[in-house]
Amino acid sequence: MAEKPEGGIFRSLADSLSSLKLAITFLIILAVASISGTVIPQNLSPEEYLRIYSVSTYRILRILGFLDVFRSGWFIALLSIFSLNLMVCSLKRLRAIWPFLARPERVLDDPKWTALANRRQFHVSAALHDSSSTMEKVLSKTLGRPKRSEESSRRHFFAEKGKLSRLGVYGVHLSILLILAGALIGSLYGFRGYVNIEEGQMADRIVLQGKRRVEPLGFAVRLNQFQVSFYPNGSPKEFKSTVSIVNGGREVLQEAIRVNHPLTYRGISFYQSSYGVAGVDRAVLTVKERNSGKTLSVTSPIGERTEIPGSGSFLILTRFQEDFQGLGPALQAILFEPNRPPENFWVFENHPELEEKRPGRYQFAVQEITPRYYSGLQVTKDPGVWVVWTGCFLMMAGFFMVFFLSHRRVWVRLTGEERGTRVEIGGLSHRNRLAFEKEVDKIEETFKVMLSQGKP
Amino acid sequence: MINTKLITAVIFLYLGSFIFYVVFLAFRSERMGKLATYWTFFSWIGHTTAILVRWWESYQLGIGHVPLANLYESLVFFSWCIALLYLLWEWRLKSRVLGAFAMPFAFLSIAYAALTSDRIDPLIPALQSNWLHAHVLTCFLAYASFAISCGISVTYLWKLRKEEKGGQAEGLTARFPSLDALDAMIYKTIAIGFPLLTVGIVTGAAWANYAWGSYWSWDPKETWSLVTWFVYALYLHARLVREWRGKRAAVLSIVGFAAVLFTYFGVNFLLSGLHSYA
Repeated sequence: MAEKPEGGIFRSLADSLSSLKLAITFLIILAVASISGTVIPQNLSPEEYLRIYSVSTYRILRILGFLDVFRSGWFIALLSIFSLNLMVCSLKRLRAIWPFLARPERVLDDPKWTALANRRQFHVSAALHDSSSTMEKVLSKTLGRPKRSEESSRRHFFAEKGKLSRLGVYGVHLSILLILAGALIGSLYGFRGYVNIEEGQMADRIVLQGKRRVEPLGFAVRLNQFQVSFYPNGSPKEFKSTVSIVNGGREVLQEAIRVNHPLTYRGISFYQSSYGVAGVDRAVLTVKERNSGKTLSVTSPIGERTEIPGSGSFLILTRFQEDFQGLGPALQAILFEPNRPPENFWVFENHPELEEKRPGRYQFAVQEITPRYYSGLQVTKDPGVWVVWTGCFLMMAGFFMVFFLSHRRVWVRLTGEERGTRVEIGGLSHRNRLAFEKEVDKIEETFKVMLSQGKP
Repeated sequence: MINTKLITAVIFLYLGSFIFYVVFLAFRSERMGKLATYWTFFSWIGHTTAILVRWWESYQLGIGHVPLANLYESLVFFSWCIALLYLLWEWRLKSRVLGAFAMPFAFLSIAYAALTSDRIDPLIPALQSNWLHAHVLTCFLAYASFAISCGISVTYLWKLRKEEKGGQAEGLTARFPSLDALDAMIYKTIAIGFPLLTVGIVTGAAWANYAWGSYWSWDPKETWSLVTWFVYALYLHARLVREWRGKRAAVLSIVGFAAVLFTYFGVNFLLSGLHSYA
């Protein structure tokens, strides 16, 4: 039977986990591990790796998990222990300072007085009672309502502000844990995948990234239209997919998806990622009758019989090829003229001069080829993302508290004397000491001014 | 274009700025110091004008966008941030000693820009977003803060070495602020840069989530920005909790800036990924 572990082992484990030294060590290890994941290419195919590394190097890297660092067991273990260390460190320190925050010392004895910074002592001619009420007013205005305690000929005041700033650090640490938790939720309960949808087609399942599985969406997405536009210099200007969500046979909504403007439905988000040409639907051709020189345009859907008006002839475009024998985009056509056998030929978008060489009643040129696009959409579901954003906001709030607020405490001791009151002021600030010094100066000044004004 | 001519002029203006600050330091000339400050301030105004003109000129070309979209524009903006932050520091500290250590960064950054393409290109779809402004602004303000911190660290180490060798009675380094003051300044500039870097990383993640559906893809740029964040987090913990001061802290601050440089340039030129814009 296993024995209960000794307090000794537990204690030393808890001690190491709660040490800052460990945290610093982990920060360094995490940094180095992350760097390794940028210097060694990640998630390539074996062939691609063998082009860079020798077979033995490749094998070693693969076994040690360096080819997919950020999802490897050891990296996740590092993050987990780091999180544990963070939690334990923070809880330990919070536990230590909590009593000090919750029950501050209102009255200080002499040794503690001498330990205060910003100490000053002066005499005023006002009586203890007047000094006391004035001091209470001054402190209320600067740091907040003070806590007062009375002795026979003494009054003690204690005022503090910005206590919350001490919790800033814990806010920042908690936010890191929240972010990691959000990432974990996302990886366990979310997914990433993609789907290519042709114009006019519908998709109700997606291919998961990195896995050979297909995930059903629970609804269908139909691509109504895909548009791409370019700048004059040829670089892309806009990709836009106009889609409809079809649920239970009904069209539920219609939206445009553009880069930086995803569509989210039922927790699943669709992002414009890529596109391509699936085929050609139709072409617009210019038909020139050689005898008369007259030209007109005909729109010919692929595979359909297209009349050449007023002639009895018709044309069928059978095929589109993006690059036919190095001559660029081309359409294969069959021309049917009355009393003549069908003629089979190719029309080139970029080489109209080749048509001139073909004898016949008509000469064709390509005016416009309308491609049928497919849109490549990235599809993701991430239930943890809002936890991550909450963590980020908390981190910002935490930083604000840590760097811009400080915990200031002021103690005042008033002692009644023969001709007035002895005033002692002292304070402690855990940050930004220079500004605090000025603040205490101001308290002293305001006190003196208010007292002198109070006199008749 | 007008803006590139103005920016080229600013390169020389900042060089002048650096020279004036060095002369001020070497000869302890108050007049030189005043000249350096005014010169730098008006050069910065010129710099701001140049950036605004570039913004306006992009609209004239019909492809209007904020000038933060390629390497040239980012270097010009980085330089602008450094000059701005330095001037603010000088004003707050009432001291000009850091000019000779901060302005070289502003000069080098904008001078390097002259070696890159200054074309104004239209924004590709991935860059057409308001997140561009928030993300680039905060990242470069953070980088600038870290650059100044690095400059102060160099000053610190220089003075420390002189003192260790034997007394600092006479000489250039005697005019630097005290080692303690320099140390405190390094901390303050990092305390400004670190939250800014965090906001920069977070806005980058939010943008990535809108553009590609993933707030963190361990892309080399993202990963290196995190490495930079780790280094400065390390600095802050070492200083605030373990009371690291002095030489170790200064060296760490320089290591941090090396990480910033790798995140900014190294990733683009030595590694590959989604982030190859600027």
